[in-house]
Amino acid sequence: MSPLELGILVAVVLIIVLLTGAPVAFSLGIVALGFLVAIEGPGSLTIIAETFFGGLNEFALLSIPMFILMGAAIASSRAGSDLYEALERWFYRVPGGLLISNLGACSIFAALSGSSPATCAAIGKMGIPEMQKRGYPNGLSTGAIAAGGTLGILIPPSITMIVYGIATETSIGRLFIAGLLPGLMLTALFMAWSLFYAHRKGFRFNIGDTVYSWRQKIEILPKILPFLFIIAMILWALYGGVATPSEAAGVGALFCIVLVVVIYKMWNPAGLWEIVRVAMRESVMIMMIIGTAALFSYMMSNFYITQSLAEWIAGLEVSPWLLLFYVNIFLLIAGLFLPPVAVILMTAPTLVPIIEQAGYDPIWFGVVLTINMEIGLITPPVGLNLYVINGIVPDVKLPTILWGALPFMLCMVLGIILLMLFPGIATWLPDHLMGAAQY
Amino acid sequence: MNAYIRFVAILSCLCGIAAGAMLVISVLVVCQMVALRYILVEPTIWQTEFVTYLLLSATFVGAPYLLLTKGHVNVDLVPIYLKPRARFVLALVASTLSLLFCATIAWLGVQLWLEAWENSWYSDSMWEVRLWIPYLAMPIGFGVLSLQYIADLFSLILRHEMPFGISEEDVE
Repeated sequence: MSPLELGILVAVVLIIVLLTGAPVAFSLGIVALGFLVAIEGPGSLTIIAETFFGGLNEFALLSIPMFILMGAAIASSRAGSDLYEALERWFYRVPGGLLISNLGACSIFAALSGSSPATCAAIGKMGIPEMQKRGYPNGLSTGAIAAGGTLGILIPPSITMIVYGIATETSIGRLFIAGLLPGLMLTALFMAWSLFYAHRKGFRFNIGDTVYSWRQKIEILPKILPFLFIIAMILWALYGGVATPSEAAGVGALFCIVLVVVIYKMWNPAGLWEIVRVAMRESVMIMMIIGTAALFSYMMSNFYITQSLAEWIAGLEVSPWLLLFYVNIFLLIAGLFLPPVAVILMTAPTLVPIIEQAGYDPIWFGVVLTINMEIGLITPPVGLNLYVINGIVPDVKLPTILWGALPFMLCMVLGIILLMLFPGIATWLPDHLMGAAQY
Repeated sequence: MNAYIRFVAILSCLCGIAAGAMLVISVLVVCQMVALRYILVEPTIWQTEFVTYLLLSATFVGAPYLLLTKGHVNVDLVPIYLKPRARFVLALVASTLSLLFCATIAWLGVQLWLEAWENSWYSDSMWEVRLWIPYLAMPIGFGVLSLQYIADLFSLILRHEMPFGISEEDVE
């Protein structure tokens, strides 16, 4: 059997195992072990324990649990609501302003947490009931939050970017900075669609009798500024090359926990333990996938599947544009079924050399890949954010959320197209701040 | 049987607490390292390696707790659309496959640990960690994980638990 045929067999077996509903991490592991034993015999397993260990023995990975802990600390507090409240006080007069505030709050919270479901939950809990109360259509309000939440993995710090950086040996700091402008661009696109929709439907959104005074506008700021300061510090430390992502994340996590304790008076040990518990569960889940994905890619390259696949695609000699089109379609489909981290670990090491050979920038591709993964978060069957929203407002049916999220999904597709036409949206800022990339 | 299920649940919880503690310790050590390196401008020797091993251990040791609380992400596309009987069979298949993987890794982990112990392996760094210490986390984590999968299989067969945690009302 040629490596390519074997590759197809591996893919089919993996899909079948995944569809049984076994955890993604263990599915990757059992398929890897199964093929090794079947082809090379039980003796090939002697190196497995060390490979598994080696896949996780990497200091840069530490930034993942640290950023998760930081996000968990903030998500457990009322910081999400305060953020939302602050934006609402400043933008309440804008037509459809509540949507703008919500999307803005999503993008800022994304910068604090690095996780999409956490962003959805933190802003949605407060924002969706408020929008319902003021007569915003359910589809629009839930769809906007579902989409706004996906910004969590694009706007730095982002867990998926860290994983991409490690998998492809690209600079995590550079990836973070590259995600910033595209993240703001998507936020703007989301806002533009919301306003357009509101205007076209002729919604007279009930502003109500509330008027916020300047005093009210100012007094909420001290609650959110420290968190914004932490984001700024982390970005500064990363792009200035002052500290590694793991160090910046560790210090950021400690500061956020301290801030949550001081500002929101969460002294209660049970509350603090809950933060650690939530963060521990999520990081173990992600790290376990990273570990078993190392086994999977060891198996794939041991049988020359990865290399043959790359050679085969390179041999097709399709134009770079067509190649990118196919890659995007492939990523979109993979993202519909698998969590972003798994998709990146399984595909990026193979795809990135091909993409580079076709003349594209790997940092830019990291951003495009992430937006593809964002789309997967708001599309069935595994659209995580849709279920998070459904959990917050059980009275809104899943199809309503889905249809509400659809236009925002198209905004993301538009975002990808814009990034292809103007790669500078992603590469300009890192090149400007960190000097031109050297490969 | 029930005593076994309860015993393993306690074991998994203990593992979870240990993993949480490791996470907290690694935050503190990272901060100590940053303070040492950037404020006091002193060299750091053991911190980087220590937190890396700690995090790695937290991943292995935290996994049983994650299984106990159904936190491992999966694709539940097919189970949702199946009839209860078929869903039950599929849950058995999924858990058995996972158990097979976890038990194999636990077994391989024991061998790696033994090898490191008998040959007194050290890490090739300034700190020279005795490798059997971090290697211990893999057999412990995957050992308990395997026990937890056996407990899950028992719960499934005894109908203590719905397959994939999907109840009939969810499907309606």
